[in-house]
Amino acid sequence: MTTLETLTQVFRMVFDDETLQIGPQTTANDVDGWDSLSHVNLITAIEGKFAIRFSQKELLKQRNVGNLIADIDAKLSPSQAK
Amino acid sequence: MSNHNIASACTSEQCRRGLSAKTAMRWIDAQGNRCDYSFGDLETQSNRFANALASLAIGEGDIVFTFLPKMPEQFFAFLGTLKTRAVCGTLFANFGEEALLDRLGDSGAVCLVTRKSLYKKVARIRERLPALKYVILVDGDDDPANGVIGYARVMAEAASDYGVQPTGADAPSVLHYTSGSTGKPKGVLHRHGSLASQIATSQTVLGLKEDDVYWCTADQGWVTGTSYGIIGPWALGVTQLQYGGGYEAQTWMDLLEREEVNVWYSAPTALRMLMREEESIFASAKLPRLRTIFSVGEPLNPEVIAWSRRLLRHDIYDTWFQTETGAIMISNRPGLEIRPGSMGKPCDGIEPAVLADDGSVQPDGEQGNLCLKTGWPSMFVTYLNNQSVYGSKFKNGWYYTGDTARRDADGYFWFMGRSDDVINTAGHLISPFEVESALLEVEEVAESGVIGAPDDLLFEKVVAYVQLHQRFQPSRELELKIRLHVSNRASSIATPQEIVFCDGIPKNKSGKIMRRVLKARYLGLDAGDTSTLEI
Repeated sequence: MTTLETLTQVFRMVFDDETLQIGPQTTANDVDGWDSLSHVNLITAIEGKFAIRFSQKELLKQRNVGNLIADIDAKLSPSQAK
Repeated sequence: MSNHNIASACTSEQCRRGLSAKTAMRWIDAQGNRCDYSFGDLETQSNRFANALASLAIGEGDIVFTFLPKMPEQFFAFLGTLKTRAVCGTLFANFGEEALLDRLGDSGAVCLVTRKSLYKKVARIRERLPALKYVILVDGDDDPANGVIGYARVMAEAASDYGVQPTGADAPSVLHYTSGSTGKPKGVLHRHGSLASQIATSQTVLGLKEDDVYWCTADQGWVTGTSYGIIGPWALGVTQLQYGGGYEAQTWMDLLEREEVNVWYSAPTALRMLMREEESIFASAKLPRLRTIFSVGEPLNPEVIAWSRRLLRHDIYDTWFQTETGAIMISNRPGLEIRPGSMGKPCDGIEPAVLADDGSVQPDGEQGNLCLKTGWPSMFVTYLNNQSVYGSKFKNGWYYTGDTARRDADGYFWFMGRSDDVINTAGHLISPFEVESALLEVEEVAESGVIGAPDDLLFEKVVAYVQLHQRFQPSRELELKIRLHVSNRASSIATPQEIVFCDGIPKNKSGKIMRRVLKARYLGLDAGDTSTLEI
């Protein structure tokens, strides 16, 4: 399963919409209910699902789903393994 | 009967004044696309919507809700509904199923205007809403079997002329649900005569002038979004900026600058979020047209005013009102010395007082119940289907606001807190009862108690004390499950910011949750008299 596919599952759970479709260009303005408060739920869910932790700096720079995927993939890449 | 119709004042009256071609709404969507709508356009579109409702036999005495994010169709539907003399309620687009069921069910709404993505939530509860005959989808097609109507089709078939029937000042107009500390949300019903207060305060507090460009960031789901994001400014022929995107500091500064906004009305939480951004965003903003900034929703910290003076080179004027008051009652405003942190002074014609529990007036400096002498034009007319609670809010000619305050020797009022357990988070009132009810639907939760706790950003945050059934253990996954459940059943605003797992919820002998004990526990304070505690 690709990162986008897994992320789609997380989005569907968080925003309670089994038909929700997202892509790299998707932003908060494209998803009903994606506000600053539900964003906290989203990040918590993503961190749990992928077993990662975003830094404050990463969170501030994430503007769309593509940014999220890039940060997730960077954390999951073998070169990041310590 | 003279015509007090709010929608006529916002559209037909402006056209009669010769403003048909003037921009009423500069609409900018989330992607930055711009579209101007004139007062003539507002008149035509709202007339079409009124005719569309009439074709469905919806009119005086009926209740129509909008359940939309900020978008042009919301404004057309709101104004068109009021033209038919039906009541228009507005629902926050982030409401979950339970919140929708409470409001649509209690009101007996016959029609809902929404869009496909949001309708999914309504479809799941529609069987439990027998009065809801029609759903108009702004981006959908007809589905007669399910009472679904395509907005585009019904608007295309509707005539652009509509004769608004004479509307009395006491005719019901706008409906907003608000939370109390107990029970379900209550439907605050206003009347068309409220227009007088909304116009007066738009002039005397916001200082709106006809050539202004005005931006109110409030969502139309809340009273600020209707009283000052629709009614007051348009009834004065003022151009409003309406932006469909969310909070983004650089975008907001760009909008203020590029659209040459003169008067900006926002909220403390948004302003505090701006305070956390890079200062360069504000240092580079050129805002020569910006005359005044106003704030509403929660007390404005003096630090925010100081920040604005330093970086935006403007004061921020805090205003105070409630869903029930319909219009600004107490405010800071140009021409009045700002006392940072205060609510300001009463608006013209408004008589507030700080009363002790026995009804006597408190001396200056003493805290008490903030009350308003009844009779201002935008005073709510009832809690729908709940006249007894409405009556309980009034005593000896005073409306008890539920807020506590003090007045200083110079006549400035200072907000002190709530006299009940209602939580004010980011300017929105949250009922602990509603959150507790949602929490108890989670399989693992045995008991819960919800309080508001001080928060630097939100003013108050929702804190949930949760006792699990014995066979379950706290975990990060369970915490997320609880948060998502509340978010999707109630709304994202009601979602607990903090969950404290505990062994028991303090209750008195009659089973009432002792939230003051939880609050004292959370704040590390003495809980006071706990002799009636059962746990």
